[in-house]
Amino acid sequence: MTPPLWYPVFLREMLLFRRKLLKVGYVFSAMVTPIIYLLVFGYGLGRSVRLNGGDYLSFLIPGLVAMSSMNNSYSWVASALNLNRLYFKTFQVLVQAPIPSSAIMLGEVLAGMVKGLFASLLIILVGFISPAHFYLSPLFLLALLLNCFMFASLGVITGMLTKSHEDTSTYNNFFIMPMSFFSGTFFPIDKMPTAVRVVIRALPLTHTNLVIRSHSWDGRTLLSLLAMAAYGLVFFAVGSRMIRRYSE
Amino acid sequence: MTGGGHAPLIEVSGLEKRYGELVAVAGVSFTIGEGEIFGLLGPNGAGKSTIIRMMTALTRPDAGECRINGLDVVRDRLALKAVIGVVPQENNLDRELSAWENLDLYARLHRVPERADKVRAALAAVELLDRADGLAGRFSGGMKRRLLIARALLADPKALFLDEPSIGLDPQIRRQLWDVIRQARIRRKSVLLTTHYIEEAEALCDRVGILARGRLIALGTVPELQERVGAYVMEHIDSEGRLIQKPARSREEAHALAQGAGNGSVTVRRSNLEDVFIQLTGERIE
Repeated sequence: MTPPLWYPVFLREMLLFRRKLLKVGYVFSAMVTPIIYLLVFGYGLGRSVRLNGGDYLSFLIPGLVAMSSMNNSYSWVASALNLNRLYFKTFQVLVQAPIPSSAIMLGEVLAGMVKGLFASLLIILVGFISPAHFYLSPLFLLALLLNCFMFASLGVITGMLTKSHEDTSTYNNFFIMPMSFFSGTFFPIDKMPTAVRVVIRALPLTHTNLVIRSHSWDGRTLLSLLAMAAYGLVFFAVGSRMIRRYSE
Repeated sequence: MTGGGHAPLIEVSGLEKRYGELVAVAGVSFTIGEGEIFGLLGPNGAGKSTIIRMMTALTRPDAGECRINGLDVVRDRLALKAVIGVVPQENNLDRELSAWENLDLYARLHRVPERADKVRAALAAVELLDRADGLAGRFSGGMKRRLLIARALLADPKALFLDEPSIGLDPQIRRQLWDVIRQARIRRKSVLLTTHYIEEAEALCDRVGILARGRLIALGTVPELQERVGAYVMEHIDSEGRLIQKPARSREEAHALAQGAGNGSVTVRRSNLEDVFIQLTGERIE
């Protein structure tokens, strides 16, 4: 059977990822931020905090999974694409191959999703061994997958937009990092002022945090799932278009 | 028909590219026949790489047309990519992947049948089979260039584009590369080669186009271009140590010029492409 057109793009990223995994620093760097948050907010501050009658750690761990999967699926795609396009010029090999832009996009996004899921894995493991009430529901897994899809697709857009490697951290500082803190990762957004809440509700990670902590397929959950799917599809379409229109 | 009786496989007409106010390529036209090696010669910044990028679907032209094997570079982008092979000026191998992995991925992207056999043959052709598992990033400059050429030829393209293929290579490796390029001609590939090495253009190219500031200012075989400015050159160092060069139509004319040059070192030699370039542009190729 002939493999799909996106497969070589995905395979290339996986071969490079495998090499990176052999370096201890890579795994450590992917895990260090959420683990620090877990220790500081969860085991430190969290011991004296209770939310909606439950312990803080049970609230925090799904949020850290969402944040970690966002950061990793987004950053690795954006950074790698930026470097491959501007410095190593390996992106040009893909653009000059007889495959459609959607195949390049899908290969890059699926690879980004794998990286995001990999980074989430350790937090999930910590969740299981911690005293928190933590389990993997179908909604949790769906939210995680959609989150990786959304942010890997957004990573392609950033990787295509940036004009230098430094630009990547600018986008990160102005968009990704504030979203990590304000989208319900560390505290419920209901506590925020109404005007701020309207803005927060428009952020993609807010919907992930809502679905990943949800225990039922209620109307609010379904609406957030729809919002995530819509964000993902729009980011995917924009990324594909940018690759199709690529010109040096 | 193109020069040398080659049926044209590549047709470029009025190709143009601007970056803001800068005109990088200004209405360039030429054809390249099947089995022909065509050289674009010019100094840095003349527009050579921009032309290659436009012809290989990396840069969209602002005006003009380019057709390769009947396929338009803008309208038939996807199909066109299946008939071209590119060796870029900068090494764009995956440094952290092995030579085998680099070629295998390229073969997958281009849907090359009997992939493993083709990759093995491509590595053998550039004498890198024994280094198949070596990381591309640890290869010497010459090995990287050979691997890039093997990759460009892997999908058996009809047209091969080589952007400064021998830049930075020592003379021995450069000549090995020339053999590979000549073999491509034997296999009826159309080759577009950019270079600023005069001897490379003279040794390899059936026809040469001379570029200056984005314009194609001369085009023809090397003897035709030499004839255009004079087949001979008289050189002499004047009393202030400056090199004076004068073109001549014949050896006799050059010797007559030498006799009138006065005292000092005087040489009469056949003209080369650099003389042609200097005569046409008043600049040296650097």
